Amino acid sequence: MSGIEDERAIVRPMEIACEGVSFSYEEGDRGVQALSDVSFSLSAGATVALLGPTGSGKSTLLQVIRGLSTPDAGVVRLDGLSPGEPGYAERQRQVGIVFQTPEMQLFAMTCLDDVSFGPQQLGWEDAAVRAAAEEALERVGLPVSVFGNRHPYSLSGGEQRRLALAGVLAMRPRVLLLDEPFVSLDPAARRDLVGIVRALAADGVGLVLATHDVDQAWALCEERLVLDHGHLVSAGAWRFDQDGEADLLAHHLAVPFLVRLWQRLGRSLDTLPREADQAATALASGGRRA
Amino acid sequence: MRTAIAQYYPAESVLHRRDPRVKFVAVAAIAVALFTRDAFAALAVYGVAALVALIVSHVPLRWYWRGLRPVLWLIGLTFVAQLFFVPGPALARLGPLKVSSRGLELATYLSLRLIVLVLVGSLLTLTTSPISLTDAIAWLGRPLRRLRLPTEEIALMMTIALRFIPTLLVEAETITRAQRARGAVFDRGGPLRRARALLPLLVPLFVVSFRRADELALAMEARCYRPGAPRTRMHPLQARPSDWALLALVAAVIVLAWLV
Repeated sequence: MSGIEDERAIVRPMEIACEGVSFSYEEGDRGVQALSDVSFSLSAGATVALLGPTGSGKSTLLQVIRGLSTPDAGVVRLDGLSPGEPGYAERQRQVGIVFQTPEMQLFAMTCLDDVSFGPQQLGWEDAAVRAAAEEALERVGLPVSVFGNRHPYSLSGGEQRRLALAGVLAMRPRVLLLDEPFVSLDPAARRDLVGIVRALAADGVGLVLATHDVDQAWALCEERLVLDHGHLVSAGAWRFDQDGEADLLAHHLAVPFLVRLWQRLGRSLDTLPREADQAATALASGGRRA
Repeated sequence: MRTAIAQYYPAESVLHRRDPRVKFVAVAAIAVALFTRDAFAALAVYGVAALVALIVSHVPLRWYWRGLRPVLWLIGLTFVAQLFFVPGPALARLGPLKVSSRGLELATYLSLRLIVLVLVGSLLTLTTSPISLTDAIAWLGRPLRRLRLPTEEIALMMTIALRFIPTLLVEAETITRAQRARGAVFDRGGPLRRARALLPLLVPLFVVSFRRADELALAMEARCYRPGAPRTRMHPLQARPSDWALLALVAAVIVLAWLV
């Protein structure tokens, strides 16, 4: 438990590298190749969108990174360490994973108990558990003084999702893997969650956001990985030249709305806005560039 | 690693095409008949009949194996129990335990009988879709309506339950993984600790199931489902000469097993 104290102060980002990762599973009578020879590396603290149509292997890849599924071939390196090396298991625990519709995992009688579950399982001392749970609840805007003793199922859908996120944050992850975190939230709940995720990223928590919502991905992430049928199609910074667009359009995805708008307006792609406010400011200041 | 209890294997075969009521009755008759006579010869007749059925069912043999796998421990237990605990002159000794020839015979016989029983049961479920199976059960249960038993509704409940088993399995798997990522350990400690450890899996699973049941009930009402209302069938059950032939064949097998 020696690492807890200094982890609280600042988040030390983590490097993630997949090397030749393949994974298959059996469904009924046939094998499904969910991931085929996937290789990429993410620098520490990177914010990365994992894009791909439904069934492209996004969720599987997140679970492989977290070590919940063992790849048939290839390795996932965390901070340059390989599985089995000293410190690897520790780092695996520091990868937080938030499943799709995570509110479906809530099980305790109170919000505080549910959020405390993770740290308790890690064997932390009571005081440390309590501190971590309170801090996590605070982070997601469910202060313990108001929500601590409420029953998880008495919360609204958006609050439940944030509570589930707090359950993962309480374990103080250095990287957060989010699987379609914004699906089926109303606009207000979505806005809240986006704000929380953005604040986490600003604090140095690495972000891997699996989604097929390119607008949200573009607003939140510096880089993107495009996955289709288990193959990694493209990795690295966003590109919107012909090839970059093809990477999206050929794989059941889309070019982000603001990028399309900028293209149609004939504006320079060097000053692409990430969000509506940015776009509005840029447009209001005029200066139409050729 | 999926076990196959009550799984259906869609294929085109003489057995798949048979009337589900006939298959149900045939399998039930054999299951009962299996226990009416203790003789290797009778067992051999059923065994050969089952093997022939397996082959004409066009279901890959490993699907039968999957059905057999989960009950292997039961068969093994039966074998060992009979082997060592049937009294009689000793054939061999293993420390304080002795094996009698009668024990060996009984152990072999009972294990084989269980295997044949499971195979025959698998024949029914693998070649009959759950829907037609429940249709058959509903039809066969019609006499019970006189006792005011809601057989149609029970059959529908069974259909729905069967339909949602795979869905629930997938959900359980997902929740298990999510809780494991939060540090949950499901396979350590004594029985009490293990039972407690299951809470993070069971509570969400129940909540999801109830919610789904609610939604399904509403959706069915929206589509005008009324319990007890007379309903017609999309695929009316109809016994053809070939179905009667199957029944006759099974009857012949049972008689033969009695005579040998």
